[in-house]
Amino acid sequence: MKDKINSILSEAKNKISESASEGELQNVKSAYIGKQGSLSLLMKEIPTLDVSLRPEMGKLLNQAKNEVKELIDEKRVELKLKASEVSPDFDCSVPGIMPSGGGLHPITQMCYDLNDAFRSMGFEIFEEDEITSEMYAFDKLNFPPNHPARESMDTYWLEGHDSGSTNEKLCLRPHLTGGSVRYMQTHKPPYRFVYPGRVYRNETTDSHHERAFFQYEALIVDKDITFTSGKVMIQSILSKVFGRHVPVRMRSGFFPFVEPGFEIDMECQVCGGKGCSVCKHVGWIEVMPGGSPHPNVLRAAGLDPDEYTGFYVNIGLDRLVMMRYGVDDVRLFHSADLRFLKQFR
Amino acid sequence: MKLSLSWIKDYVNIPEDADLKKLAYDLTMSTVEVEDVEDLARRFDNMLVGVIEKIEPHPNADRLRVCKVDIGGGEIKDIVCGGINLKEGMRVAVSCPGAVVRWHGEGEPVVIKNSKLRGVESYGMICASDEIGLGELFPAEQEAEILDLSAFDVPAGTSLADALDMNDVLLEIDNKSMTNRPDLWGHYGIAREIAALYDLPLKEIKPFETDVQSDFKVEIDAPDRCTRYIGVEMSGVSVKPSPYKMQNRIWKAGMRPINALVDITNYVMLAVGNPTHAFDADNITDHIVVRHASEGEKLLLLNDNELTLCDDDLVITDSEGPVALAGVMGGAKDSILPKTERVILEVANFEAAGIRRTALRYDTRTEASSRYEKAIDPERCDQALALSMHYFMELYPELKVTGFCDNYVKKLERAQIDVSLAWLEKRLGKHLTDDEIRGKLEKLGFEVQIDGDNMHVTAPSWRSTGDISIKDDVMEEVARMYGYDNFDATPFTTSFTGAINQKDKNLVRSIKEYLAIRCGMQEVYTYPWMNDVFVNAVLQNTDGILRLSTPPAPELGYIRSSLLPNLCEAVAKNERYFNDFSIFEEAQVFFDRNYTSVYDETESLPEQRRHIGAAFASSVKNINTLFREAKGVLEYMPRYTHMEAYEFRKEEKPVWADNVVWLNIYLGDEKIGDMGLVAKKVSMECGIKNLSVMLFELDATKLKPLASRTNKFTHLAEYPETDYDISMLFNADAAWHDIYDAVMGKKKASALLKDASFVDEYRGKQIPSGKKSVTIRLTIGSDEKTLTSQEIENAANQVMKKLSKKMNAELRTQ
Repeated sequence: MKDKINSILSEAKNKISESASEGELQNVKSAYIGKQGSLSLLMKEIPTLDVSLRPEMGKLLNQAKNEVKELIDEKRVELKLKASEVSPDFDCSVPGIMPSGGGLHPITQMCYDLNDAFRSMGFEIFEEDEITSEMYAFDKLNFPPNHPARESMDTYWLEGHDSGSTNEKLCLRPHLTGGSVRYMQTHKPPYRFVYPGRVYRNETTDSHHERAFFQYEALIVDKDITFTSGKVMIQSILSKVFGRHVPVRMRSGFFPFVEPGFEIDMECQVCGGKGCSVCKHVGWIEVMPGGSPHPNVLRAAGLDPDEYTGFYVNIGLDRLVMMRYGVDDVRLFHSADLRFLKQFR
Repeated sequence: MKLSLSWIKDYVNIPEDADLKKLAYDLTMSTVEVEDVEDLARRFDNMLVGVIEKIEPHPNADRLRVCKVDIGGGEIKDIVCGGINLKEGMRVAVSCPGAVVRWHGEGEPVVIKNSKLRGVESYGMICASDEIGLGELFPAEQEAEILDLSAFDVPAGTSLADALDMNDVLLEIDNKSMTNRPDLWGHYGIAREIAALYDLPLKEIKPFETDVQSDFKVEIDAPDRCTRYIGVEMSGVSVKPSPYKMQNRIWKAGMRPINALVDITNYVMLAVGNPTHAFDADNITDHIVVRHASEGEKLLLLNDNELTLCDDDLVITDSEGPVALAGVMGGAKDSILPKTERVILEVANFEAAGIRRTALRYDTRTEASSRYEKAIDPERCDQALALSMHYFMELYPELKVTGFCDNYVKKLERAQIDVSLAWLEKRLGKHLTDDEIRGKLEKLGFEVQIDGDNMHVTAPSWRSTGDISIKDDVMEEVARMYGYDNFDATPFTTSFTGAINQKDKNLVRSIKEYLAIRCGMQEVYTYPWMNDVFVNAVLQNTDGILRLSTPPAPELGYIRSSLLPNLCEAVAKNERYFNDFSIFEEAQVFFDRNYTSVYDETESLPEQRRHIGAAFASSVKNINTLFREAKGVLEYMPRYTHMEAYEFRKEEKPVWADNVVWLNIYLGDEKIGDMGLVAKKVSMECGIKNLSVMLFELDATKLKPLASRTNKFTHLAEYPETDYDISMLFNADAAWHDIYDAVMGKKKASALLKDASFVDEYRGKQIPSGKKSVTIRLTIGSDEKTLTSQEIENAANQVMKKLSKKMNAELRTQ
């Protein structure tokens, strides 16, 4: 009988360890220690044994039953921990649930990215009102009195304020630079500030021309600045926007309020400078004007141009956002069309 | 501006093997933006001169002919053609397979293939001038006229580019990049710049000399506007075509050849940048006088426009009256006509701003006016005169100069500038030797004297009309000739004066991020102008709103005093695609009031503020929910964005709002905004169909950022607190504000009550009319012990009892 018990026990142990599911385990349980289980049936044979053997065999049998029970319980815990709470056909490829949707306008995002970059270099953020006088839009920026930009076809003048001398004529600002003069008039040099804002031009619109668009001006004025310092500012902007070093070149350009003036080109990000239809096959894209503020502009701001100089860049945010994302119609920015805006989160 | 490289080479010896890409690049980097470099001959690839040997009828088409064409190399090809001027022996332009043409000069370019035309095989086509882009050079006189090249004495098979002198390169220069460089508006000016860039010799134009004696004279009565006027009276000229080479160059530069007399004047302008004009001398009575127009004086222009002049206009006159609008356009009376035999050539210099004013006044901008308005130096008249006379004498060997007058009123003074070399070095951030600096400037025509630290610079005449006037201009010349790319970036030094702390800027950003990121709203941008429809619907009054004098469209004249009209427009536009959304905008608004002079006492600017506006639109949420969503966004904003809290009051209904659902927003005693449900009538006028819309607008300039984060810390409860919901019936007009006050006000309903909050309210079938059910969540707990369920229930009962007493509430029975 002892051998029988031992062989049943080792058989049971094997079955338990082989069980792969709770169902199998349940079957093992009933096969050995259930009412009709082989160990339970052996129990019934005890009374047929010699009396002297009964206590020992009874004890052995009970030990065996307990051992089996414990092993089954252990195995059950083990199986439970291994198993999943859900059925194996759970589909992990279903899409997630979107967090509550909202977002900043892509131009605001770009503007904040740049603000962060310039703040880290010690620049202040400056803002000014959008209605300005012709004096600040043009006179103080060294625009000659008959400059084409002053004409009504280029600038939005206000009704009832569209004639008279330049301090009386009011318009929606055609650029930000006049506001920079206001900053300089009211602050002590050295200056280091950025000036984001919306500007207005009375133009016919198409996919690349808008009547309202965003500029981002950065200006630094100090005693010992060379125009080559401007390259640092330009590279800061572009590496922030594109996340890597973008080659730039400065070439001769003319704007009344800077001397010398530059057109600043960046390597075309579509073709990597090889030449493509986006960059008209030259490999470069014009992104911003820049230069040292013209002595007359510094004078208008109350500074001595022999003492102070600086560097200025003015970048078109719309254009930069278009390049960053491949947007092909500038008019989408002011469309308030959620189908467009929801893409930039 | 388009430039022909072969023309530029007349004045500067560019090596034949020069890298044109590099030339374009160098010009772009240092001088002007070269937008395009075109190998002109490519346009005429696979085109050649053919000779029509024989013309046969087409078997299947009356209008077509089958031409046997000698295309050189002993090959005769059949080409089907419908031209009306076909002749045997005629030289024609043949586009062989592979050539690119435009059918009838219109539409998209098409590549020629061998093909059958009405059943007859045709080797390419015989072209009309406009089909190969030559319509302006060889204008056709009638439809279906084939380009007749018989005048070109070349053998059959000569490539068309060779035959027509099209082996040239065209440089397209961005006009905007040279508005400040009047010296560059011609081939000679660019040649001069190239000579300087590459240190090549520049050819001089020999001055014209004459010893003619006559009483011919030119009078200048407006020395302020005309600094120089050269008149040359000539006989022995006639109207005939100019030589092909001249026509070809005028065409390459983008103009149209007309006749020899006119072509010479245009050619000279394109060459040296100084416009000239030829008058029919027989129609000039007495002598030429340059003067201001008298007010109301009439002038009939070449283009048949009759102008009524003012005294700010400058005119060329004879004793009978004006004959030309100076520097802009000639008059009809003295224009060149087929029988012209004597001319007076005008080579003059006019003051820039005046020309510009006149051209704009009459909306007549011409090639001449656009050059004069850039400020040309009067010395350039010498070049223009010399070149003109060269061609007049070449084209008219019989020509006689019968009168000459050079009335040079005011000699140009060349710009003189002193530059400190130490200053130059500081600004350049780089040391250049005296010789390097001198070398760069002298190549550009500057005279340079260096004495210690001082450099005295005399600008050349062609740079002395405003372009070069201060030392910074001289610095730019040195820097661009050195090459901007050759300067290394120099980092700027920092001086720390403290952290930048711009609370107001940070607050606006916090608010925008709060609305977008925390509240799930989408930021939008709209224009500053408002559509009249939305102004009338939403604002209902235009008092104090500013207007544009030339708006983008007649109905877009008002500029915003509120963000709400444009937000309503945005809602209406998006309704087609979305049924539940919320948007906001932060932008400037303008008011025709409170004019101030902050920066300059002579300036006076209207009141301008920054507003934040929002719209919550839904056709799936009920108004209750929409209202609570909008209000929630406003309620939590001060807390999350760290600004002083504002409060809601109900003082003055916004005009656009529903009669019941609206609130005013107050910071202290000042109203800083409104919120509310858009009245049905308003949303209908806005074209909003099914959406309910909640709006709010806040004056962001009034918001007050906190100096630092404020947050109170409370100890965590030591004993458990229990949430206990009660639902009670209240009168339908009972306000939550009062319910809360009754429970949590000065005397709390129970000492164990920690808080009471609104869960929801319900009106419906099971609720008696005039009543509503409000569910309130009570937070009950003690600081001393864990409460028993009996104690919790007792506390809740106290609350209910108090509500029954104070608010007439009843327990809701199911």
